[in-house]
Amino acid sequence: MFTGVDLGLRENTAERIVRIVLFIALGALPAFWHGQYALGLLTLMAVYGVLLIGLDATVGYLGQVNLAQAALFGLGAYASALAVQAGAYFPLALLAGIIAALLPGAALALPALRLEGPQFALSTLSFATLSVIVLNESETITHGALGLSIVRPSLFTVALDARGFYWLCLVLLFMSWWVSQILLKSRFGLSIEALRDSPTATDALGIGTLRHKVLAFAWGSALAGLAGALHALNFGYLQPAAFGYDLMVMLLLGVVFGGRRSQWGAFAGAAVVAMLPNLLSNRTLFSGLVSSGCVLTLVPILRSLISRRVPAFKEAAPAVAMAVALALSLFASNVEEWRKGIFALFLFAAVVGLPDGLAGAFASALHRLIRFTPDPLPPATGGIRSAGISVSKPLQVFKLSKSFGGVRAVDNVSLDIGQNEILGLIGPNGSGKTTFINVVSGLYAPDSGSVEIAGTRPLPGSLMSAFSAGAARTFQNLQPFSGLTALESILVCQHDGGKSEAMGWLRMVALEEKARQRCSELSYGDLRFLEIARALATRPRLLMLDEPAAGMSKPDIARLVDLIASIKCAGVPILLIEHHQDVVAELCDRVAVMDGGRLIALGTSAQVRRNPKVIEAYLGADEEQTSVQGTSEPQLC
Amino acid sequence: MIILDAKYIALAQMAVGGGLMGMAYALVAYGFQLTYAAGKAVNFGQGELVMLGAFAGISLAGTGLPYWVSVLGAMVAGAVLGWFVERVAVRLALKQHNEGWILLTIIVGLFALSSVENIWGRDDRPFPAPWPAGALDFFGISVTWPELAIAMGAMGIMTLVELAKRYTMAGIAVQAVSADPEAAELCGVRSRSAISLSWAVSGAAAAFAGTVIGPVTTVGPTMAAALTLKAFSVAVVAGLDSGFGLVIAGIALGAVENLSGYVLGSGWREAPGLILLILALALRPQGVFGKKIIRKV
Repeated sequence: MFTGVDLGLRENTAERIVRIVLFIALGALPAFWHGQYALGLLTLMAVYGVLLIGLDATVGYLGQVNLAQAALFGLGAYASALAVQAGAYFPLALLAGIIAALLPGAALALPALRLEGPQFALSTLSFATLSVIVLNESETITHGALGLSIVRPSLFTVALDARGFYWLCLVLLFMSWWVSQILLKSRFGLSIEALRDSPTATDALGIGTLRHKVLAFAWGSALAGLAGALHALNFGYLQPAAFGYDLMVMLLLGVVFGGRRSQWGAFAGAAVVAMLPNLLSNRTLFSGLVSSGCVLTLVPILRSLISRRVPAFKEAAPAVAMAVALALSLFASNVEEWRKGIFALFLFAAVVGLPDGLAGAFASALHRLIRFTPDPLPPATGGIRSAGISVSKPLQVFKLSKSFGGVRAVDNVSLDIGQNEILGLIGPNGSGKTTFINVVSGLYAPDSGSVEIAGTRPLPGSLMSAFSAGAARTFQNLQPFSGLTALESILVCQHDGGKSEAMGWLRMVALEEKARQRCSELSYGDLRFLEIARALATRPRLLMLDEPAAGMSKPDIARLVDLIASIKCAGVPILLIEHHQDVVAELCDRVAVMDGGRLIALGTSAQVRRNPKVIEAYLGADEEQTSVQGTSEPQLC
Repeated sequence: MIILDAKYIALAQMAVGGGLMGMAYALVAYGFQLTYAAGKAVNFGQGELVMLGAFAGISLAGTGLPYWVSVLGAMVAGAVLGWFVERVAVRLALKQHNEGWILLTIIVGLFALSSVENIWGRDDRPFPAPWPAGALDFFGISVTWPELAIAMGAMGIMTLVELAKRYTMAGIAVQAVSADPEAAELCGVRSRSAISLSWAVSGAAAAFAGTVIGPVTTVGPTMAAALTLKAFSVAVVAGLDSGFGLVIAGIALGAVENLSGYVLGSGWREAPGLILLILALALRPQGVFGKKIIRKV
């Protein structure tokens, strides 16, 4: 079987070489492809490239359907045009554009904190509509629908001609691309991908949702403003209607078509959006393009026919869409009139057929052909021995209550954990254990009572504040960062140390070998262990484990018990919710029992088991389940 | 009776006219609620469905069919299109658990828009309706028949669907699916069919909205995008799961829009509504009449 050619190259290096070649080629292109028209197209492509790389930061990396980019582009364009009118120099005009888009753009992160999917899309759409109305109606400043004309100022002393301006745009595109790549591959980029997958977990692990969302929006919007300023200086004439819903749809679809979460994808999308109107006007070229698209979409259908099954809807739909596009391009009397329709068909085929866009499809094809040398992993250091920060009173909870409607999920519970102690929290389903952890870790604000973690009182209802006090937790329903690898999941949670420390935490849970695997590919048991490693990597003063053994196999449970015992030995106090009574009996110094939101018993495992109230709470449960096989002593350090 | 200042009468007139138009927004928004309840997705091309419904109605009426028959025909067309959108755009993407469905519904809407431009042209057209000319007069405020038709029609359709949801087996099945699709399947309800049904009803409601809005405004390709935004605003402000709250939200949006157009100038018509929308979202993300969402882990 063909396993691909080994070039002995790292993927990053190869990508960098190809990118530099691309830019040299693009820079040389005006020498071969003559004419103002071609130059205009290339300039437009570069400007859209900057714009779409910015859009990809929010739509791709952050995963928010942001419909405001076209309006931010417009705001940037108008701001720089007005700056030029007021006599600003070239760089100042660019700066004006960036600022005019950056400030409102960063503010969009605020609705993004509380709204999800459709609601957030709507809030950005209303912002965009509002911006266009303001541009249209502030006639004294923008001349409204009549449009605003400017003359491009010279760059310092150089009067830029069309070619010079194109090169400038190209340089700025290259810089935006490069900075975006560095930014989004860094810890910051990992963080925003993590919070796309689970904002609850990122807050609980101190990664900080607000800061990262604001930054991602600010960066995306700054690029929109830069692109807008270039656009204004390129055309010298602006009209508000150009920045409306139509442009927004084109941009959004450009990003998706090109491929999300990839600067290459954004660039490819920009090229398509810029070139498409012109492709449509050349009938032969266009029919050729559509036909080849048609052929490509037939591949999955043929593949399924060869293996003798009816093609699934997902495989057939792109081909049908492309066939309609082909029919339109051949028979429609005026192809240009059908511009939007054909674009829609293309995009439909791309979104359904290539969920990862052109760039994604290209990358996976490339990975089949070429084997790259993976980045070397450093040797593991640190790990469990470095976990402990001893505190005398890790957790003190006083008369805590929390109700949902009429249900008192936690009712007047007082509890504390001593230095270097494992406290088990047990109780029948629905007794309020998880709600208790949720209140302590700051997911919910308590109705009354107080929580003190390692001597400080976190703000009620703030995951971040509880984290700062020293709490870290795992989740009963797994909250993995599906888009990140195991190693990256640890890296985003670490506040100090680099890859070798991260490898150390992975070694602790025996996931060293799977460091490069994506969380979406890891098994359930691995993910449970990874959550513990993730929580420990934050160096907590109090670790809360919410049913870590749930759904685990017997050998995994044995490993888990050893792991928790060694965490205790390292000096990290633990609050452990668990249904496996043998695990509780083996590990816990004391056991607290909850029922109906109240604390009904507290003592050693043996004491609690004899308590009549506890027996009553568990009544109906099998005798064998509640009793422990063998009486093993808590493991000694 | 108190004789009011002419200025106040004019304002009241604007508010009433806008409020009646707002009933149409509420009807389209109701379509959003239906599909959101059933499958947690909405059609970002719903405005295009309204427009297609209106054009289908015009074409049917143009063949000499009576008004009511062409309205019914438009609703059937809308139902088929609604079903189609769910089938081709939403079902695939929701399975992948990403926001792809938002893009796919926008894409289908874009294709619909382009088709309308090429089949019916880009110009606005009047919608023929058999309503008597002239207006009714309530305390100096005049209400035209087409406006009244919007209000009556919107209320009628919403009431009918709500009754059907409560008292027919299919309606109860849809409610079961919106509560918990897996559990409904275990009880023998096909959740796919229930979701398809919701989308079809939503499409029919949108097409009906087109046929009642048409006689008041005109019908043209430009109506679509604005309608999607307005109707979606109404649905979100009211709360995507809130039932009749959207009638109030719809009337309020229509009235605010008309009043601000009158007071600030026609260009600013939509601005205050949008600002109110952003404020409403900021203060109550779950909608003014919606239930609070509790994060579960």
